[in-house]
Amino acid sequence: MSKQVPRDAYRAIEDIVGPDNVSDDPALLDSYSFQWLAELVRPNRSHYMPRPWAVVLPGSTEEVAAVTKVCNKYDIKVKPISTGWYHWAAPMKDDEPTVQFDLRRMDRILEIDEKNMYAVVEPYVICAQLQAEVMKRGLNLNIIGAGCSTSIVASACAYFGGGPSSYYMGNNSDNLLGQEWVTPAGDIIRTGSLSSGCGWFCGEGPGPSPRGVTRGGLGSRGGLGTYTKCAIKLSPWQGPPVLEPKGPPPGYRLPIPDNFRVYTIGAPDWDAWANCYYQIYDNGIGYIFHRQFNLAGADLAPAMWLTYIDPNKTLNDVETLAKDSEIKKITEEARISFQFVMQGNSIDDIQLQDKILDEILRQTGCYKVKRFCEPDMAEFTNMYMQRLGHKHCNFIWVGGYMGSWMQPGTPDFVKNYVPVAIDGFYRDQKGHKLVECGGDAMMGCGSTIGGGGFFGLEQFVSYDPNDNDSIDACVKHMEDAITDTTANGIPPGKELLYLQIGWTDEKIWDAFAKMPQQFVLNFQRKIKEAFDPNSLGDRNYPWLPEGYAQRSKAAGSSSQQKREPKRKLASK
Amino acid sequence: MALEDFRADAMRCTRCAYCKWIPFDLMKSARFAKGCPSMEAGKFHSYSAGGRLVTALSLMDGRSTVTERVKDSVFKCTLCGQCDVSCKICRYDMEPLEAMRELRATLVKDGHTLPQLEPVIKSLRNEFNMVKKPAERRGDWASELKVKNLTTEKAEYVFHAGCRYSFDGDLAHITRAWVAVLQKAGIDFGILGKREKCCAGRAYDMGYRDEFDAESQHVLKAWKKAGVKTVITPCAECFQTFSRKYTAKSGSDIKVVHTVQFVKELIDAGKLKLTRPVHLRVTYHDPCHLGRQGEPYIPWNGKEKKIFGQAVCYEPPKPKYNGAFGVYEPPRNILKSIPGVEFVEMERSRESSWCCGAGGGSHEAYPEFSQATANERLEEAQSTGADAIVSACGWCERNFIDSANSRGRKIKVLDIVELVSQAL
Repeated sequence: MSKQVPRDAYRAIEDIVGPDNVSDDPALLDSYSFQWLAELVRPNRSHYMPRPWAVVLPGSTEEVAAVTKVCNKYDIKVKPISTGWYHWAAPMKDDEPTVQFDLRRMDRILEIDEKNMYAVVEPYVICAQLQAEVMKRGLNLNIIGAGCSTSIVASACAYFGGGPSSYYMGNNSDNLLGQEWVTPAGDIIRTGSLSSGCGWFCGEGPGPSPRGVTRGGLGSRGGLGTYTKCAIKLSPWQGPPVLEPKGPPPGYRLPIPDNFRVYTIGAPDWDAWANCYYQIYDNGIGYIFHRQFNLAGADLAPAMWLTYIDPNKTLNDVETLAKDSEIKKITEEARISFQFVMQGNSIDDIQLQDKILDEILRQTGCYKVKRFCEPDMAEFTNMYMQRLGHKHCNFIWVGGYMGSWMQPGTPDFVKNYVPVAIDGFYRDQKGHKLVECGGDAMMGCGSTIGGGGFFGLEQFVSYDPNDNDSIDACVKHMEDAITDTTANGIPPGKELLYLQIGWTDEKIWDAFAKMPQQFVLNFQRKIKEAFDPNSLGDRNYPWLPEGYAQRSKAAGSSSQQKREPKRKLASK
Repeated sequence: MALEDFRADAMRCTRCAYCKWIPFDLMKSARFAKGCPSMEAGKFHSYSAGGRLVTALSLMDGRSTVTERVKDSVFKCTLCGQCDVSCKICRYDMEPLEAMRELRATLVKDGHTLPQLEPVIKSLRNEFNMVKKPAERRGDWASELKVKNLTTEKAEYVFHAGCRYSFDGDLAHITRAWVAVLQKAGIDFGILGKREKCCAGRAYDMGYRDEFDAESQHVLKAWKKAGVKTVITPCAECFQTFSRKYTAKSGSDIKVVHTVQFVKELIDAGKLKLTRPVHLRVTYHDPCHLGRQGEPYIPWNGKEKKIFGQAVCYEPPKPKYNGAFGVYEPPRNILKSIPGVEFVEMERSRESSWCCGAGGGSHEAYPEFSQATANERLEEAQSTGADAIVSACGWCERNFIDSANSRGRKIKVLDIVELVSQAL
């Protein structure tokens, strides 16, 4: 770290939070800089992002604000995390002293308003905790795709917030009601109805509504101050007040109540899959809609999950099972499939939904995948989808996973990019440096934005983080995916978002300067100037320097013709 | 094994933080959702299993050195293994508990010890126990009992009381009660009296491998001399040490059973009849070493291999220790078979049990942390409305008794044999 911070700054922070709640011990700091995906973007395939200058555990909003003011005084960046995951959760640059806020001491559920169907939580309340509490009151919350180990505040205030139950409950970006925000300047701002003293019920007012300022579509991901509380909208739950799973780990099974159905639906082709989704959505049936099990790859998923639910088996058994003729049949049956959970408000209701589903299946040529609908797998599916407590099976093959693609849109849009993604992934597996699970390891949730059917599929690329050749192969796949998307007129997916974490500011701004709708990035610069005058936040909150696009255009006009547009992003 | 052998585990850790919680599927409330006592005390990520893997990596790579903070984060942990269970919900290629043990052993080997542990280790070396008592007094608990001494007599089974039950006066009635129960069932057993020695499992967990090796040889020699084929112990920690650590280290083929397993078989065989009602609402605390760490040992000497290009498995297949097959049913079945007993589960039970706080050297090195951990468990037990928390390990019971007394809790702390004795 090139820049030295006066010791007075550390002592000032100690005075605020107490000596037990701040540390600059190198090994302790490394436990924060070590982050998932770092090896894909850092020099020498290092697993470490830049080391924080100090880690601080604030216990209250006031402490967050006070420490943030100290950081302003001493020119120290701030980077908050709640449960703390992703390479972008860490400090972004080696030469910028950064205080990493670890918000784990702020872990209270402050309020559950049963009548108005919302809860108010602090940043270290995870989805599983809140779900366990609100289910006792006949309510539920949308758990994001990353699973129930995630912070509600993080997904609602600072990231996208989509998940398998978004189909019924909406994304958490939509479900965000009031929020409490400590700006990078150290001011405490309360949004929407909260700011007018009317409580937490609405993110848009009465009162000022800077919700769109702080989060936008993707959220600021820790780049624009610290969210210390939020209210989240809840949804109806007609299941038992307490989930009582059965069996030994890891494949816990959750009995299916009479007013629920849990299916794995297969489709003969992607057209049928899209039609099935539209019809399900149009008919308003279902509770959870997710293509979950395919994370293991369409070639191996049945063998993997049928191994997983047997407590005596290990991954060695997948190799054997995958060769079994019966499993091969199931593999083909489940190749284009998704998991679908229906909740009935009554027995009559669930029976009606069942009839509607059967008719949809008849009309579209889709079907229930028989083996996956048998009690053992169905109960496991029920547990998996209701709580999302197995989401880190994303890493089950070897500990490294990177999601490419995931461009959201209508099912028709998605079905058109799926073949490109599949072909590209088959191609990139041929070097044997990625897990060879088939070209289709695409997973994603049915979702709603603005009341419309919505989807996105993410290609699950499994690589070995303990093998540099495998890491290289993953990076190559990311670059290839960008090339494939560009060549096919499809916007880049998550792989670009991930790679950009390793880029310089100039490289990112060059890319931004060529994007459509630059007014958003210019607007966000003004937001940053207003709320982050000393630039304590990092570039996870994206913006474009004033006049940058114009200067870039002028400078690049002469060399533009030398470049190959289709390869440009990939070469970066 | 060496710390370097766990490098791949560290490199493949995804910082998902599952290790900080009980398995999510099992969460029934926000209040009792957390799984890691160490994280509750230390708060920083480096106090979790995932954090310790990074600490190990950072030290191995010379990015950092051993500081007082590092020692604190490495040793302030009960090694209860909850993290191991939760990690393995989604992973087959991680051994966080073993990695943490290895990290401790490496620090101890390099001279980075805790001064608080030195008197305990000295006691082990000189007096063959972990409770700083004279070796001569080890068999005092049985002085007034008519029980065979296997240094001079022969018997089918040896009853190994363990350090805590041998020396702790508050628990002596439990040790004697087990003897009475076995005698009532007509079991041919004996003890080694003052020749009994510490299993050294706690020393192993504290990182003192040389001491473990030496002590385990003493124990095995004493058993061999006495012609022992089967060991019965009421101590969960001794049970796990004998059945897992001894077998792994020395290939010991001596059969080891915990008293709850043995007594359950006696009940099933009709040799013990629980007929007298005991009107009590009770909950059961799974000792870590009997529950999730009490799975049968399976010998394995293999290596990693890759399938499907990069997926990791092992040749031959590696045994899976994830808490699925610990000793959970026997104690519960005993309690449920006692007339009048109303049995209630705590939210965190079986593989997701919250630790008593006594393990891994915490009782000796960090009494405040140890007691806070016990208090959390008593809080959970009380939330069930139970009159008593029942367990099957002297270390758990000692910690619970101290915590209950210091905070004036009304909940009783009982060993399972106390209820069995009343019901006979």
